[in-house]
Amino acid sequence: MAADPTRRRVLAASALMLTAAGTAGCASGQAWPWARPPVPAPDVGLLRSVIAAEDAMVSRYTRVLSVRPALAATVSPLLRQHQQHLAQLRERLVVPAGARPSPTMTARARQAQVPAGRIAVLAYLRRAESDQAAFLVRALATVATPSLAQLMASISASEAAHAALLRSAGSPR
Amino acid sequence: MTGPGGAARGRKAAGNAALQGALAAENAAIFGYGVAGAYLIGRQRATATAYWNEHRSARDTLAGLLRARGEQPAAAAEAYKLPFGVHSAAEAVRLAIFLENGVTAAYLGLVGAGDAGLRAFGARAMQDAAIRATSWRGSTLAFPGMPAARLSPPRAR
Repeated sequence: MAADPTRRRVLAASALMLTAAGTAGCASGQAWPWARPPVPAPDVGLLRSVIAAEDAMVSRYTRVLSVRPALAATVSPLLRQHQQHLAQLRERLVVPAGARPSPTMTARARQAQVPAGRIAVLAYLRRAESDQAAFLVRALATVATPSLAQLMASISASEAAHAALLRSAGSPR
Repeated sequence: MTGPGGAARGRKAAGNAALQGALAAENAAIFGYGVAGAYLIGRQRATATAYWNEHRSARDTLAGLLRARGEQPAAAAEAYKLPFGVHSAAEAVRLAIFLENGVTAAYLGLVGAGDAGLRAFGARAMQDAAIRATSWRGSTLAFPGMPAARLSPPRAR
């Protein structure tokens, strides 16, 4: 999964923290060779993967809009809401200096082919929205911060509603 | 003294209070859809009836969850004060949106109550309410259920 590199980094950081805590007591006057690593909050790894997934949604919509501008009336408001999701999620991430979020999911979404045909495009976005809404609900189980859990649940509700709207836009009336 | 047992009891109490909050919102929605339905016809009437049934079923689920936790579900009020007068189909639709927003916000409380077992349940109920609200509104929200004050303002750049 794309979350793995992030996860590994957080685990590595935690191991480092343990080492630091374990040796700090016996470091007699010796200067610590590294700057103190940023303390990884328990939710940082998860938040990074949620941000990457949301970033991928923005990429999908941006590509769809560039290939099929005629869908703007349906698709643009949803893209704007994903950008709002991304902004709120990023607000909650305190990025340690020099750290970069994992680009894997974003890159994959950028490379993904937008299918041909209006109905197929709407179905492609709808599937992405449903998957993302379900991913967020699953991810809730491991969130430590209640306010982050609420933000993720609200975004997941927004995306489930996007999927419903895309379904009705893609079905004949 | 607050030991681990005290913290668990606190979480349970918060979970119970949030479940009661969701139950109260469902009861208000059941009452409100009864009013709204009277002003709707055809497809909108059928939708209101289907949603009314969904809220009744959610109410029963919540009552069951509360009883399973040894808590008595609070009874519904006989009548609820509506947020505005409803005398037309347009106002009935506005009421339905208002009710769904209230239900979404109540389940948001459940997601934040700290009881991991209730989180996914609350989040799925938020999805259902947001989908119903969208079918009335014809458009979606970026943050269903979230009070605007809880969202960070965009950073000044």
